[in-house]
Amino acid sequence: MAREVITPEKPADVTHPPMEPVEELRVERPSLRDWTDLRLGWWGFVRKNLDEPMPPGVGWWQTLGNLLLTLLMFQFVTGFALAMFYAPSPQSAYESVVHITTQVPLGSFVRGLHVWGSTLIVVVTVLHILRVFFWGSYKKPRELTWLVGVLIFNVILGFSFTGYLLPWDQKAYWATVVGTRIAATVPFVGHDLLVLIRGGEEVGALTLTRFYAIHVMLLPAALMGLTAIHLYLVRRLHIAGPVLPQKGKPVPFFPVQLFRDAVVVLVGLGMLVYLAAAFPPAIEAMADPAGTDFSPRPEWYFLGLYELLKIMPQGFEVVATVIVPGLVSLGMLFLPWLDRSSSRHPAMRASIIVAGTAVCLMIGLMTLKGILETPPPHGESHSEPAQTHAMRVE
Amino acid sequence: MCECRNCNHCDKKDDSLTVSRRKVMAWSIGAINLAVFGAVFGPVLGFLGSPLKARTKKEWVPVCGLDELEPGKTKEVTYVVRVKDGYTMADHRYALFLKREANEVVAIDPACTHLGCKVQYQEKQGRYLCPCHGGVFDTEGNVVSGPPPKALLRHAVEVRDGQVFVQRNA
Repeated sequence: MAREVITPEKPADVTHPPMEPVEELRVERPSLRDWTDLRLGWWGFVRKNLDEPMPPGVGWWQTLGNLLLTLLMFQFVTGFALAMFYAPSPQSAYESVVHITTQVPLGSFVRGLHVWGSTLIVVVTVLHILRVFFWGSYKKPRELTWLVGVLIFNVILGFSFTGYLLPWDQKAYWATVVGTRIAATVPFVGHDLLVLIRGGEEVGALTLTRFYAIHVMLLPAALMGLTAIHLYLVRRLHIAGPVLPQKGKPVPFFPVQLFRDAVVVLVGLGMLVYLAAAFPPAIEAMADPAGTDFSPRPEWYFLGLYELLKIMPQGFEVVATVIVPGLVSLGMLFLPWLDRSSSRHPAMRASIIVAGTAVCLMIGLMTLKGILETPPPHGESHSEPAQTHAMRVE
Repeated sequence: MCECRNCNHCDKKDDSLTVSRRKVMAWSIGAINLAVFGAVFGPVLGFLGSPLKARTKKEWVPVCGLDELEPGKTKEVTYVVRVKDGYTMADHRYALFLKREANEVVAIDPACTHLGCKVQYQEKQGRYLCPCHGGVFDTEGNVVSGPPPKALLRHAVEVRDGQVFVQRNA
């Protein structure tokens, strides 16, 4: 189609530069695509992102962020579906989750996608963080990209902590009793914090509504905002590339890197679908503050902290609850300012690599110890009403 | 230099007037934003912080009959209390360890003083064990080993007409 641009007369006011998009809008009889594009600038935006230059040497390791983004979007979709059937009150939460699991068509599968999705997200986030750490990609000028990324990691942990309570079964209830009590070990303001988090002295109706509101409103909003900033910064500052610059020209993002992204997403989501279908999440007996034979146990990725709490001598629990996690979080947050070396090469920043590896090993070993040593959450004499709930609807 | 005050032909406008006007407006915008922000977040924060002001009162609740307890032995009992749980009144079931010695009854709360897990009583060893982080307490509820910072909580007990009452938050 012929595109004829009518050039407007030069405006008399020369203090403002001519506004080009408005000029473009004067195309006569544009195609629908042009019509929308002239208004939205969408294709320009897409083009710019597809043409994003990838430094030579960028490869499979740089696909984790995209996988994470996809998993998070999936989590939003399955979470939205679950929220349609879920009722956040002690009287109905458990029943509604049992209903989702046993009655709603595909309910067990959708819940499985959400539960396994949360685990996969934690795993992929940790891999993504480790990749950026060992490649030194957080260095100037990408300090804020890293900082926002660490905030996103904390939001993700917040999601898993608040989401864990929602089924209101024994596991959920006791993990939250212990998890919120950790806040009470904070010096001076501990008890007030506990009451604020729980919405009262005990874990109850208000704890559930608080956690639900945080899980479905506050954290998604925070995650979206932070992710937008993170992605904006990734595009603005471009990908860091390998530790040592490699020979060759930058390659556009499309198609090679986007193809890798797509393959990794296919594998990741394939795994998620398999896990959700093959291992549908169970539901324990309903929350019971007086239940006798129940050993509380947190989600597996909090088991490192759980083990740390075990080995702390009397009177030192604040070390495990506040000081160690606080130092690790602060260390992560301000890593770009702790590691001042100009080189990204691991050999040139040995101290930070050794320290980081040591922290990772400690967390890994403690988590492994927790996984191996912690008994299953319910005792032997458990009457197992939960088993029936865990069964899938055929 | 252009002599006019507000012309469109140059950008060297009379600064003395514009700058002060700009300042006043910028400050006003800031103040309005602050007021709007405060009008929303103030009430919301007060609303969310309201549980801090809630006062719980102590109440005597019946737990079990005295004759259900064997002298010298520790027994786990559960009892139900109607409590205000946020927006609703709910029957909450609680557990309690009762130890009877002659006509005196000791009531030990099962919440571990470490992080609140429910301790389990091992009769053979005469110990309370916490399944979470390995806290161990003796029959009196005193810490034997592990991370718990203090003895298990004891509730005040009264025996009236053969019925055991404990005092707890209602």
